[in-house]
Amino acid sequence: MIWDYFIYFAAFAVLLWIIGAWGAWRGRTALAVGTTIAGLLVFLAFIISMWVVLERPPLRTMGETRLWYSFFLPFVGLLIYGRWGYKWILSFSTMLATVFICVNLFKPEIHSKTLMPALQSPWFAPHVIVYMFAYALMGAATLMAVYYLLRGQWSVLKKVETSSRPVGMLATEDELDSLDQLVRSGLAFITFGMLFGALWAKEAWGHYWSWDPKETWAAITWFAYLVYVHYRQLPSQRTRLSLWMLIVAFVLLQMCWWGINYLPSAQGVSVHTYG
Amino acid sequence: MWSKPWKLPEGFLIGGGLIVAGLILEKTNGPVAWNAFAWPVNGIVVAILLFSLVLMHAMRKKVYVFRFLSTYHAAIPALVLTVALTLLMGLTRQRVDGRGLHNMLTFWPFVLVYVYVALILGLVTLRRIGQFKWSQWRRDIPFFLNHFGLFLALVTATLGNADMQRVKMIAEQGQLEWRALNDQMEVVEMPIAVILKDFIMETYDDGSPRRYASELEIVTRTGKDFMATIDVNHPLKVDGWKIYQFGYDTAMGAESRTSILEFVRDPWLPAVYAGIYMMLAGALLMFFGHKKRKEDEV
Repeated sequence: MIWDYFIYFAAFAVLLWIIGAWGAWRGRTALAVGTTIAGLLVFLAFIISMWVVLERPPLRTMGETRLWYSFFLPFVGLLIYGRWGYKWILSFSTMLATVFICVNLFKPEIHSKTLMPALQSPWFAPHVIVYMFAYALMGAATLMAVYYLLRGQWSVLKKVETSSRPVGMLATEDELDSLDQLVRSGLAFITFGMLFGALWAKEAWGHYWSWDPKETWAAITWFAYLVYVHYRQLPSQRTRLSLWMLIVAFVLLQMCWWGINYLPSAQGVSVHTYG
Repeated sequence: MWSKPWKLPEGFLIGGGLIVAGLILEKTNGPVAWNAFAWPVNGIVVAILLFSLVLMHAMRKKVYVFRFLSTYHAAIPALVLTVALTLLMGLTRQRVDGRGLHNMLTFWPFVLVYVYVALILGLVTLRRIGQFKWSQWRRDIPFFLNHFGLFLALVTATLGNADMQRVKMIAEQGQLEWRALNDQMEVVEMPIAVILKDFIMETYDDGSPRRYASELEIVTRTGKDFMATIDVNHPLKVDGWKIYQFGYDTAMGAESRTSILEFVRDPWLPAVYAGIYMMLAGALLMFFGHKKRKEDEV
């Protein structure tokens, strides 16, 4: 059974990614990039072996899908690190990848779980993976927003002042610009996830958009982030309001992700509930 | 208020006015009758919309409100109202025979807000084309793809919906079938006939379906005659129709000798897909592109 070897590949890959994340914090870019790529190659080796052994792409079960999350999270983390040099992004992506690896290790019975025919599509993995990555980015953006709001409150209470940030200022222009970059990449991935879903729905259900509750909430989330992105283009704006927009948008995103399972208006009518 | 240049409050008032107008229309005219937009009406509406947009763009120097509609101060309230009304839709159970909040797609305020968004998208696209600079392509091309792509997808998906045909065909093993049922349960004759050769069903150990598919002989009015297998997620394209594996006789399960097929025809699909692919390209460029702020006069 190929899954029996998973723990060795996974442990080695996670170790390499942790070294990479540490390297990024210490400003050792070459080390960070090198070990993260090495970890990705180790992990990819397992995925390819699995592909060969199963004689089909490993995309069918939830466990196999998590395998791809675990691979893509550090991969896109690396892209963002290369693009903007955020020190924290590799730690964040490593942590998330490890969570998904642990779920696969501790809930192995899910590997054999059946997958209904409608989910057996090449769109399944990209649709879910890019959404999960977008959620991760938006989660990071929300954490930053909360942090800036609390830090601003703190600086008022304690009269803390720095040269770049006078008392009462929530975040500097540079900080807000970085936050924008994060949200814009998240928005790009949300757009991919939503439109991949539309293209898939056409193949599976005959129509690209049916205002299924999941689709309705995906539209709400997408437009909510568009409000933020457009508001940040105004020549003068209130920082507190823009940070709150990110928090509200993330709450709406939670509704879209899992909240609708508990929503009376969505019961029994969504094609997105697979039990 | 209403002293130029208009800002967000004026934007919200215009959007709020649209909602009030929508409520009045809902009261006086009843829900939006989308079926009335079947071809050629939808084609004429698209032509009028494009013509009006070009006209509004051309008169933007003379008429302030046309100029205002392509600013962030108009776009942000429009987006906030879109979130608000779509949120109402997400919180209210939708019914095909519902009215008002229970059938948002035919609820005038909801429809007008989306029309307003489309209008703004059209105008900002024209404005950006007018100001296009090759030196600014990294900003202007993604902007065009994102805004025009959404405009195209939104307009053609909505107006083209009335031309979409979706019917179900119940195919019995070994029998030639050319009749299908529409949503009103009326029998329609199809230009494509099928003979169900075999219904294939594979199950997991727990009995849940792993795969179900139909082996069919397809005979078309255009003279085609061939064998095909249609799986879930793998529709067959023939003569402008897509044929889907929709269902089977669930009482019989794996022994079913009946296959339910869905036939879908959507002549506007290429335009919607063009919009979707533009948005995908726009999102890709947005991710790899770099952002500059506060360079736009508003």
